Amino acid sequence: MENDKLSRLLPDEVDRREVEGLDATWRMLGDIETPGPDSDRMRARLDAVLDAIEHAAPPTSPRWFGRRHIEAGRFSPLQGLATAAILLVGIAIGRFVVPNTIGSANSSSEIATMRSEMRELREMVSLSLMQQQSASDRLKGVTWTGQLDRPSGEVIAALLDALMHDPNVNVRLATIDALERFESREDVRRAAIAAVDRQMSPLVQIALIDFLVKTNERQSAPMLRRLAQDPQVNGAVRSRAAWGLQQLG
Amino acid sequence: MFTHSDGSVTDETLMEAVRNGELAQLGILFERHHRVLFDFLVRMTGNASVAEDLVQDVFVRVLKYRATWRGEGRFDTWLFRIARNARADYFRTRLPDAPIDEAADHPSRAPLPGDLLARTRDVARLQHALMLLREDKRELIVLARYRGMKLEAIADLLGVEVGTVKVRLHRAVNELRDIFLRLNESASWKTTNSVGSCPTR
Repeated sequence: MENDKLSRLLPDEVDRREVEGLDATWRMLGDIETPGPDSDRMRARLDAVLDAIEHAAPPTSPRWFGRRHIEAGRFSPLQGLATAAILLVGIAIGRFVVPNTIGSANSSSEIATMRSEMRELREMVSLSLMQQQSASDRLKGVTWTGQLDRPSGEVIAALLDALMHDPNVNVRLATIDALERFESREDVRRAAIAAVDRQMSPLVQIALIDFLVKTNERQSAPMLRRLAQDPQVNGAVRSRAAWGLQQLG
Repeated sequence: MFTHSDGSVTDETLMEAVRNGELAQLGILFERHHRVLFDFLVRMTGNASVAEDLVQDVFVRVLKYRATWRGEGRFDTWLFRIARNARADYFRTRLPDAPIDEAADHPSRAPLPGDLLARTRDVARLQHALMLLREDKRELIVLARYRGMKLEAIADLLGVEVGTVKVRLHRAVNELRDIFLRLNESASWKTTNSVGSCPTR
């Protein structure tokens, strides 16, 4: 669908000879070719985002996108590998360790050891995914942290690092959701306040303001006031900051 | 109107469903619009990889802001508005990549007939000139030329009068032609002043 005739698009008073001169350039514009999109890859990325949304937030608080009526996502090879690794460890626990240790004095401690190793493996997979070059893999990594029972400080540090430095907006948004579990930690709330100023994406800034309001973080009030009054700040962020201030009282 | 004459559901109806929580309908909207969005964004950025990222960002924003869809206008105008914002946000944080490299002046080594070679060079230089235009002017040309948008739709998208669109488009095409001619002059000067620059094959 192209507008081939430039004359129809210019003011009526433009001289006809000038229009003819410009028309050659206009027609030549039609010869500029562009690459086509990699539709499959793009669709897979969208599905990965939908999948991450479906699994990222805890079941009781689907904050990010509300209702999860989402078609099945596609898995990245790395995630498939990680799933297989965890599955194998699980099978190993069930098949070899448990039968051999039932009744023995050391059974509970060995199972506890295996569980601990499995937890470490899950953590390792999450951290590894978060280091990947592909944004959808990093998104998976952030999502996986939601499945960890007791994430270590290293995981929380990785999430805070992603919040501050990940170049992809979707990863940063998912990180905010993942950090909700740790809202009682002061370092997480402090990082959220600091991150609002550092974010260039209004989308992430608004999500952070929501996070701070939800956690009733009153120390964020001066920052929210400054944002609400700064004419240089994106309009949507400004009004969200004003709303946040009201909520915090 | 909920369906087209061929029985397919309209974009606006699908978006209404997405707004009401049927997120899977976004897949249909993606299939219908991602190519057009990609084409717009790749012409604006000159970078296919960045355009892909931005298309994804646009659809994530559609999800995020689905509650703001009022169903009063055309879906594609709303979508392009989101795309413009996504692109502006993207480049606010980083300098755009060099859109066109000097390859434009060094066409393929495969032999081409003289006229075709000259035409290929001209088109490459025009593409270069387009990327050298200021963003708002480039956007206007891309919307009008490649998207085939009606002037009314462009005016609605940009929030200006139709007459203003015509005047701005006139200026933009004039400037594009000037840059193109300057690039041509510069290239022919280089050719005539270089020694043995074009070995015979």
